[in-house]
Amino acid sequence: MTPPVSCPCLPPGAAATFTAGGSVSSAAASRWWRSPQNRFYRDGRPHDSFQCLARVVAKPIILAHIRYRSSGKVDECHAHPFSLDFWGQSWLFAHNGEAGAIESYRSRQTPLLEADSDSARTFEFLRDQFAEAASRPTHPTFLQILQEALAGLIRQYPGEYNFLLSNGRFLWAFTNHRQFLLLKGSRQLEDALLLTTIEEGLSPEDWRTISLREGTWGKILLVAGGDLVLEEDLWPLPAYPAISGQDLPSRQSLSN
Amino acid sequence: MQNLCRTLLGAGAAPARPKTALLTPLASGAAPRVRCVAWETAPLTWKDRSCPMCELFAISAGQDCTACKYLPHFAEKSRNNLSGWGIGFFRDGQVLIEKSSESIYAGEQVHDGFLRLTRVVDSRLIISQVCGPQTGQRKESLLLPRSDQFFHHHWLFSFRGDSRKVIAYQSPRPIMPEVLSSAAGRVLEFIRDGMEAEMQVWPGQNLYQALALTCKRLITDYPGDYLFFLANETVLFVFLNHGEVLLYQPPEARGEALVLTTVSGSLTGDPEHWQAFANADRSRGQILIISGADLLYQGHL
Repeated sequence: MTPPVSCPCLPPGAAATFTAGGSVSSAAASRWWRSPQNRFYRDGRPHDSFQCLARVVAKPIILAHIRYRSSGKVDECHAHPFSLDFWGQSWLFAHNGEAGAIESYRSRQTPLLEADSDSARTFEFLRDQFAEAASRPTHPTFLQILQEALAGLIRQYPGEYNFLLSNGRFLWAFTNHRQFLLLKGSRQLEDALLLTTIEEGLSPEDWRTISLREGTWGKILLVAGGDLVLEEDLWPLPAYPAISGQDLPSRQSLSN
Repeated sequence: MQNLCRTLLGAGAAPARPKTALLTPLASGAAPRVRCVAWETAPLTWKDRSCPMCELFAISAGQDCTACKYLPHFAEKSRNNLSGWGIGFFRDGQVLIEKSSESIYAGEQVHDGFLRLTRVVDSRLIISQVCGPQTGQRKESLLLPRSDQFFHHHWLFSFRGDSRKVIAYQSPRPIMPEVLSSAAGRVLEFIRDGMEAEMQVWPGQNLYQALALTCKRLITDYPGDYLFFLANETVLFVFLNHGEVLLYQPPEARGEALVLTTVSGSLTGDPEHWQAFANADRSRGQILIISGADLLYQGHL
């Protein structure tokens, strides 16, 4: 895990997300900072709890998020990552960007996140799309559902979306308004993959910048096992009509 | 272990000389742990070098699981395959492979060793292969799955296909030094070498892109039938340019496990829940990406 000592490069109050793959991090262990009185920096040093967790958490995937309020209050319930269960699994979600339009979204699923923010509504929107997809007679791939959900999200609720979504085994990263900085094979974590939104990276090493392709609606990354497994562009509608059986391998009536 | 080895020792026509059994856990850069003793026998025929009738199986899950619900049916459906079987899996970051050159079916019963393994092997990813009905004995070293190490990962590889031309591929880092090598070994070498070369040209390239470009070059340079599973401890890639792979997500346990096989017909009593991924155009192909119980991506070359 990249220790938070890398984070003094953050301007005070800036939002940051990063994840580490390989054998070092955890998806479930990053919901740590829950007090609105806690600030990331205290007396010029990163918060003690953050530093402590950075030392002890060792799992395949870690998400971390430092909030700069752009929607909702400064309150414990607004601290990311959020957690919801869908698609038969538990998911963590961390977001940055301003997406005021999505605040009006009302999910028909339960549970609802306590937070009253664009980030919480965005996560619920994605959860609802996967819940709907689960009931379809065909089995689209995870990426097909995600692409369709993102295209619908951006079309219906235009805004800035930059998020990490992980079930602890793999991680999806999406952005439609910023860039990701990626480092594989850092000096401290040779087998890990580090991903951040911090424009200068988290160390003086050779971070790769992953930017949006012109004409696209966003960039989707898939990270697993410390590797960048897949990198896809999100193309504008109507490239993503509702997934039909014609697009997918048909189920066959198989006989034993 | 003893039962399995005893069975092996009693099998095979005129065993020539025992080959070293590797029983140590896999360390970085080391050979995989392989149980059982192999016997080198008569020279291989062409049929031995390809693997036209092999059947493949994989289960990928979010947590460690056994394949005892599926593997016996897999063996049943592959009972005509006489040339050996193997089970590979990951545990604590290591690759473990169990193989036998005996038939998967003995009389009316599934091989004892195979059945025992179906009960005791638990892993987030298990790959099994039953080899085709060639005559004569196979060398244990040619049985699949087999493993290799690259990109900081241990990889399991299983192959079904038919390509005479790929035998000619000469890797700068051959896996098997045998004069008569298998198409499967050459394919694994080609994929590994190709992906490493892609990553050298563009270090930031993603694994899928490196694999897709390499597979495209494989079917262009060495036309043939290819279907393989390539997995590290987190991700399973499936490539096919012929035949079909059947995929099953247990409806009662969504998010828990995903099963793949090449055997025709399903391995369960609910065939309507099996999804077929077929490929008819040998000049193209498709790649599936699976992690845990999720089919993440389907890409066409």
